[in-house]
Amino acid sequence: MPKNRLIIAAAGSGKTTFLVNEALKNTKERILITTYTEANEAEIRNKIIKKKKCIPSNITVQTWFSFLLQHGVRPYQGALNDVLWDNDIKGMLLSEGQSAKKNGKDGKQLKINGYPQYWGEEHFKKHYFTSDWRIYSDKISKFIFNCNKETRGEINLRISRIYPHIFIDEVQDLAGFDYEFIKSLFKTRSNILLVGDPRQVTYLTHPSRKHKQKYGNGRIKEFIQDNCKSLLSADSIDETTLKKSHRNNKQLCDFSSKLYPEYEKTEPCECEHCQNGDINHQGVFIVRTKDVRRYLRKYKPVQLRWNKRTKTNPSFPTYNFGESKGQTHDRVLIYPTKEMIEWLKNNKSKLEDGTRAKFYVALTRAKFSCAIVYDYTDSDNIFGVVKFKRSVVK
Amino acid sequence: MLSIKKVNIENFKVFNGKFSLILNENLNILVGNNEAGKSTILEAIHLALSGLLNGRYLRNELSQYLFNNEIEKEYIFSLKTDKPLPPPSILIEVFFNGKELPLFEGNGNSDKEKGCGVSFKVEFDNEYKSNYDELIKTDVKTIPIEYYKITWRSFARDGVTSQSIPIKSVIIDSTSTRFQNGSDVYISRIIRNDLEEKEKVDISQAYRKLKEAFRIDKSIQAINEKVNAKANISDKTVTISVDLSTKDAWETGLTTFLDEVPFHHIGKGEQCIVKTNLALGNEKSKKAGLILLEEPENHLSHTKLNEFVRSIKENCEGKQIIISTHNSFVANKLGLENLILLHNQKVTKLSDLKSSTQDFFRKLPGYQTLRLLLCKKAILVEGDSDELIVQKAYMEANDGKLPIEDGIDVISVKLTFKRFLEIAQKISKPVAVVTDNDSNYKKKVKKKYKEFWDDEFIKISASKEAEYATLEPQFVYANREQLEKLCEVIEIDSSKYNTVELISSYMKKNKTKWALKVFNSDEALEYPLYIKNVIHWCNA
Repeated sequence: MPKNRLIIAAAGSGKTTFLVNEALKNTKERILITTYTEANEAEIRNKIIKKKKCIPSNITVQTWFSFLLQHGVRPYQGALNDVLWDNDIKGMLLSEGQSAKKNGKDGKQLKINGYPQYWGEEHFKKHYFTSDWRIYSDKISKFIFNCNKETRGEINLRISRIYPHIFIDEVQDLAGFDYEFIKSLFKTRSNILLVGDPRQVTYLTHPSRKHKQKYGNGRIKEFIQDNCKSLLSADSIDETTLKKSHRNNKQLCDFSSKLYPEYEKTEPCECEHCQNGDINHQGVFIVRTKDVRRYLRKYKPVQLRWNKRTKTNPSFPTYNFGESKGQTHDRVLIYPTKEMIEWLKNNKSKLEDGTRAKFYVALTRAKFSCAIVYDYTDSDNIFGVVKFKRSVVK
Repeated sequence: MLSIKKVNIENFKVFNGKFSLILNENLNILVGNNEAGKSTILEAIHLALSGLLNGRYLRNELSQYLFNNEIEKEYIFSLKTDKPLPPPSILIEVFFNGKELPLFEGNGNSDKEKGCGVSFKVEFDNEYKSNYDELIKTDVKTIPIEYYKITWRSFARDGVTSQSIPIKSVIIDSTSTRFQNGSDVYISRIIRNDLEEKEKVDISQAYRKLKEAFRIDKSIQAINEKVNAKANISDKTVTISVDLSTKDAWETGLTTFLDEVPFHHIGKGEQCIVKTNLALGNEKSKKAGLILLEEPENHLSHTKLNEFVRSIKENCEGKQIIISTHNSFVANKLGLENLILLHNQKVTKLSDLKSSTQDFFRKLPGYQTLRLLLCKKAILVEGDSDELIVQKAYMEANDGKLPIEDGIDVISVKLTFKRFLEIAQKISKPVAVVTDNDSNYKKKVKKKYKEFWDDEFIKISASKEAEYATLEPQFVYANREQLEKLCEVIEIDSSKYNTVELISSYMKKNKTKWALKVFNSDEALEYPLYIKNVIHWCNA
């Protein structure tokens, strides 16, 4: 088994399950399982509890930010700047966009020649922290990177002595300095297992200019290949172990694969366990707005939407696209964005990276059927998609 | 073995400012005056490891009395000036040995260095900043403890609990009468620490069964039916039962017995022995056991004490023990090399002394060393007659009170003055030397003690008159106006011994004899100036 491993696999291929099973194999050494979203952290916990009734004492499950704060930032914070001897870092502020905005007297962000201004590293406190000492989420891994340099690697040494095994799920959510941090973890004695899918970059731990051009949008594989060569063995990057979808049926696999033609097409698993042959209403459907209520009643799908501004039927459960990552449902109903509709009609139409990823996530949530709300006309004819009509119900 | 390397204590009780103490991995014997802070060190370590002070969680019992008195005074005083101090805080830091606990490593300590350990802080809670700003405008008389909080963390700045701290401490304090309730907190703690998880579950299950058996007993059921028949107590069903609600109920409900006598009914001394032996016998090697023993000599007869000390010595391997004691026997038996001397917040270890001095004290019975440490002031004299005369001179000047009654110890040290002075210097102990000039003041006094003359705590006293080389001629010379009276006191024939020389030579031959006579006499005699100077120094 390679010391540093990256497993890349499509949605529904059982990445999290694989990671949990790997962790449960080891009952002696301490293992950290971390992931970016709280939802996925909860999902990992649930998976472990389902198998073992409780989280074994050698396993710690925590979110990426909580891990970074506890083991990256705080243990040696004083080494980076003297003000941190006497001040506690209270927590983290999730920053949308670049943090540490420089404000003018009017309270609005200062601009010079149209460029927004930010506090630089020379203003240590303002660069990294809010006035009440919360660290900006987009600066955490940079802080750790610099503090690690200052202490000659004490932070990583400590982490690797606590956790001989570090597993990171949904690694495609990491960005910028996170990559540098992973690289430095590769250099420690710990065994590192990264699992992810570059098709599902729905969040990023932080908006970052670092590595954005080259390795942005979840291209951790490329980063590792280019920057960590000496730390890898031949089988470090694994794109074959998890190839088949244990979640989606053939129609859903085929349809969702169209979003990422550059990747190998996902195939459904055909084992006995994954068979669901005699269930009605399988595949991809389009549903007109006026039929939504009827559809919901009939099939009880989970509703997926862009964000809370999209109105859904309150009688049925609803998740935002990003939030639904990692979830499995029998059936879903997607409230698409305009761009998604355009793509539906013409697969060559433009789709932003983030939108494409969210659409991919939404399309790959269901085991049996995925319906998309779209007021189609009789002339619409989309390959692989069935029109939901009242007559179909009867 | 997990053990404590060092402890820092700041502003806690007797400690004004930062105090730091490095500990041995095995045995540590703390010796010092009553107010030197021996017990405070034990309390502080236990507090930082368990959150408990006097058997209670400090979290619920914060009080300004925890703070050093002078620190509080300084703070209160500063509020009236234009340079007010921030509210003071108490800090206890315990550093662990070894590399097995990376979770506790970090630089979150006042030494600002990488270390492994926990920090326990009683500090002002900034949440109350605005209340505080209002408060200090008024006449503040005490530390505003109601705005304080406890911050208990690892050096990685991560919150800790007594469960998460791998070093479990037991404080065994036989002087205390504070724990008179049914079950003894210590003993259940010790037993609990030694039990495996499964055994703990078994014991609480057994306890539960016992209580359930009580509940379903026929007579209890009959009583409950009767109670309920008088239905107007409440709308709800009323029953008599036992409380099964807490999971560790057995700890409070069960009592330990010794020869069928409940633990809290046996003698204090015996309790101390049992607790200590239990703690020593604690076999959970993973969880290091730190034993804090406060003055074990209390409540123990000499035989018991001997037995007790032997048991500690034989079983202490693999355990870290910190003992505070007043008893020279305990300290001596357990080995002077483990001695830590405390004095005015200064720490001296025997290992800090010159190696020849160390050897010297190792050979001594130990008693003398401790006398020096435990007294307020010491007067070092050469022999028994000097001792008696100095004591008597002191009594003359102090209405018949013996110097020891004022904490002043007169110690006869033969020719080893300088060894004692070396320790005295280390711990800033006021010490006076009363010595002969041996007819050569310059060489025997001035030169011999040259490194001590400038020490503010040390007074060297000898006569400069070369013709009176020792105590005897000095004493006779001091009484040259009343030789007859002197002869009478020391019971010799004043017609035969009628010169200073004759009397001195008699006295030199009967050293202890004449001194005892002087000591026991009611007659007022004169004392040599160099002795009077020392008495004066004592009273200064």
